[in-house]
Amino acid sequence: MGRSWSSMDDFESFLDDGGIVEVDDEMPDAYRNAVFAFIEMHANSELMGGLTERDWIPRTPGLRHKMAVLAKTQDEIGHGHLLYMVAADMGLKTRREMLEDLFAGQSKFHNVFHYRAATWGDQVAISFLVDAAALASQQAVFKNCSYGPYRRILKRIISEEGFHMRMGEERMMLIAEGTDFQRAMFQQSLDNWWWPALQLFGPDSKPDDVLLRWHIKSERNEVLRARWVQKFAPLLISYGFTIPDPGLVHDAEADTWTAGPIDWEPLKRTLAMGGPDSARRIGEAAANWADTHWVREAMDTAPERSAGAPA
Amino acid sequence: MKRYEVFLKKDGRDEYRHAGSLNAPDDDLALVLARETYLRRAEGDRLWLVDRAHLVVGDTEFVAPNADKPHRHNDGERIAERRRRLREERAPREEEAGS
Repeated sequence: MGRSWSSMDDFESFLDDGGIVEVDDEMPDAYRNAVFAFIEMHANSELMGGLTERDWIPRTPGLRHKMAVLAKTQDEIGHGHLLYMVAADMGLKTRREMLEDLFAGQSKFHNVFHYRAATWGDQVAISFLVDAAALASQQAVFKNCSYGPYRRILKRIISEEGFHMRMGEERMMLIAEGTDFQRAMFQQSLDNWWWPALQLFGPDSKPDDVLLRWHIKSERNEVLRARWVQKFAPLLISYGFTIPDPGLVHDAEADTWTAGPIDWEPLKRTLAMGGPDSARRIGEAAANWADTHWVREAMDTAPERSAGAPA
Repeated sequence: MKRYEVFLKKDGRDEYRHAGSLNAPDDDLALVLARETYLRRAEGDRLWLVDRAHLVVGDTEFVAPNADKPHRHNDGERIAERRRRLREERAPREEEAGS
């Protein structure tokens, strides 16, 4: 058995001193529930992201990028695996229960995977803007995460997300240096994906956000969001694209970029599984899960079969 | 399904380190899953898989007491104190010699 704490105050001062919680510690239920829900959503998002990526394997232009998309698909599904193992060890749900809840539309995943990637430009926008936003959030968790197993697995995930983001920027650069048709396509993708990527950070953190108090998140949502705008607005403009935010303000003197007011309704709709592509995405993932039933069955019965095999 | 703990080691200098865990029905499939999940970019050249049911885990209460046995170390403080004292005694003389 691990450690235990006599009160929530005790536990919180342990966390404030930089304490790291391990799986066999007797952590308070509220902490266990909150951390579990956070990791489960992260795992779901990796899996749903991997499925989006997989849709593009046959359509990715060029062998080099096609191979990279194959690798990225396996990375994302792998991240889902790693996170489901960490979450399952917290003892609240098994991996199978988490997957079944996801495919029944009963648990959350990132807003960006509730939209359809209709063109290669959309896919590039996802692999650059959205991956960068997800990476920034993950780095902010990794920096000071009080739950040890999550912190350690994030290290691997973050290093792989870094490759994905660089691949995304390279693809965007190719488009920016391409034909007018390609540039127009990417501008349309930017118009579609800028806001969802920004909304991925979520609304401003509440003052009593337990994920901040318990050192799961190390930065407030609005800080991460502002930093992302500060980085990506000038970068996209330097590639010759226009940011679809009429309220975007550039302070030339301080060289800062600030986004205009954000409409949070689209984010709320995705959280309620009512995004533009939510039903199709969940339906396809559920159909895949049903189709691959035989693989799970073969895995489950493999030991008996090999034990009974002729020598 | 069994739960396996994955340990990786890279080159001759590192220790085996815990990388994570995985579910597999038997050792052969566990090896394939470990390679495809944890060794995607040459993160190691050696791999140990341990069935979690075979892990012997020490209770933290049992393990922790060794943290309060300072007599098993020597912090070097007393020797450092002598060195400081000698330096201070020598310093004024060196100043005289320099002037």
